[in-house]
Amino acid sequence: MNIAMLLEMAADGFGDRIAMGGHDRSVTYAELRWQATAIAAALAAEPQTVALDGELSALVPAALFGSAWAGVPYAPLNYRLPPASREELVRRLAPVTVAEEAWLALPPDPGRTFPDDPELPAVLLYTSGTTAEPKAAALRHDQLTAYILNTVEFAAAAEDEAVLVAVPPFHVAGVAAVLSSTYAGRRMVPLPHFAPEAWLRLARDERVTHAFLVPTMLARIIAAMEADPALRAPSLRHLAYGGARMPMPVIERALELFPDTAFANAYGLTETSSTVCVLGPDDHRAALAAGDPAARSRLGSVGRPVPGVELRVVDGEIQVRGDQVSGDYLGNGPQRDKEEWLRTGDRGRIDEDGYVFVDGRADDTIIRGGENLAPAEIEDTLLRHPSVAAAAVVGVPDEEWGERIGAMVVPRDGDTIDAEELRGFVLARLGTLKTPEVLVVVTELPHTPTGKVLRRAVRADLSQPG
Amino acid sequence: MSNLLGKRYQCAACGATVLITKAGDGQLTCHGEAMEVAQAKPLPSSD
Repeated sequence: MNIAMLLEMAADGFGDRIAMGGHDRSVTYAELRWQATAIAAALAAEPQTVALDGELSALVPAALFGSAWAGVPYAPLNYRLPPASREELVRRLAPVTVAEEAWLALPPDPGRTFPDDPELPAVLLYTSGTTAEPKAAALRHDQLTAYILNTVEFAAAAEDEAVLVAVPPFHVAGVAAVLSSTYAGRRMVPLPHFAPEAWLRLARDERVTHAFLVPTMLARIIAAMEADPALRAPSLRHLAYGGARMPMPVIERALELFPDTAFANAYGLTETSSTVCVLGPDDHRAALAAGDPAARSRLGSVGRPVPGVELRVVDGEIQVRGDQVSGDYLGNGPQRDKEEWLRTGDRGRIDEDGYVFVDGRADDTIIRGGENLAPAEIEDTLLRHPSVAAAAVVGVPDEEWGERIGAMVVPRDGDTIDAEELRGFVLARLGTLKTPEVLVVVTELPHTPTGKVLRRAVRADLSQPG
Repeated sequence: MSNLLGKRYQCAACGATVLITKAGDGQLTCHGEAMEVAQAKPLPSSD
């Protein structure tokens, strides 16, 4: 099934609902369908990949569905990269054309049909590459539609529902947001430039009911709410988060600040067409209420696999398979094994009730004197210190131990951090083995554009002599 | 009898599922029996 079918059904079923925009300036699902047919008609003469080089706007759903309608791949680019890097990424996609704002004004082609070749690539996403050069993951029509049909019920959204989309279009969650909102019939409210105050104001003014955030965004929203009690999102019913590991202290505070909001932790990869595991709202509240530390620790879990996905742990590494799982890269064959399992590169475990815990990227494991240490536990402990706003822990090359523990920390606004005092704080809780040997205070952690800590940059910085 | 857009119909005998992508009249049958509307699985929105 072509992902264009999701839009066709939406336009037939609830065409007058707003697809994207505020109540003042918006496009309906029926209009979005006509835009898609118009773009497909324009592409028909010379079919080629459609690159999108821009932030979230009405052009994003139109280019995504227009490409699908034409049967060509859609490739959203990281518009924050320098022009020379973007030109290189575009060149690698050739033959390619770059989507333009003017496409939204092209004449519709109501009779135009879309191809039904489920194995065609629908979306090409350059993965963020926190440890390596970017490569383009290819997601096929059948993989994306499998994800949507297994996790979203058609027209499930109530008429008043609106989702605030703050992730950029080149993130898999940005693609998934368009597809699931379309199939559910939910209005998308775009926030192209994330700032915590702007997010809270837009959520209030547009009566936003749903949102997805990466952990760094949620941490900044919490800080803004604590600084200004007038900044609240009263209509927010459902908050999903994912894209990177959520520190325990952040989610605990979020549950206190949003007492009436249902939380969902979504774990997935670009290569798996977004979410493969979800920790749902009831699990969050039960874990928060639990006195038993084991039950409470479930807040740090990513929940259980979504329908249609199988998950296992082999030698400490999480593997997944299912109809939505790709793992193909442009110019490279499938990365799945003969039984269709995809290695995620994430270390993890499954508890006796089937809850999955992700301990971090396998590459991020610190090996100190033969001892394997996960940065997650040390980062969470650093974050429990009242003066610490953000923390990243990495392995720093060391002649004697192979690696030593290096930490980069950011103080809260107006606070200072005494490195020795902070090391003592960790030492008292985790012991010498897990106490950072190098600890540097900075004003900001290096991040990828989608909010993941750029660990290779942290590692490079902490590895500098002196 | 009309089939509802976006609903899934399932065969009780073999488990085959049909998704209605275009609403229309008619009766879906499989293994000689009318197919039943499959119940939605409630799942929290994850994006």
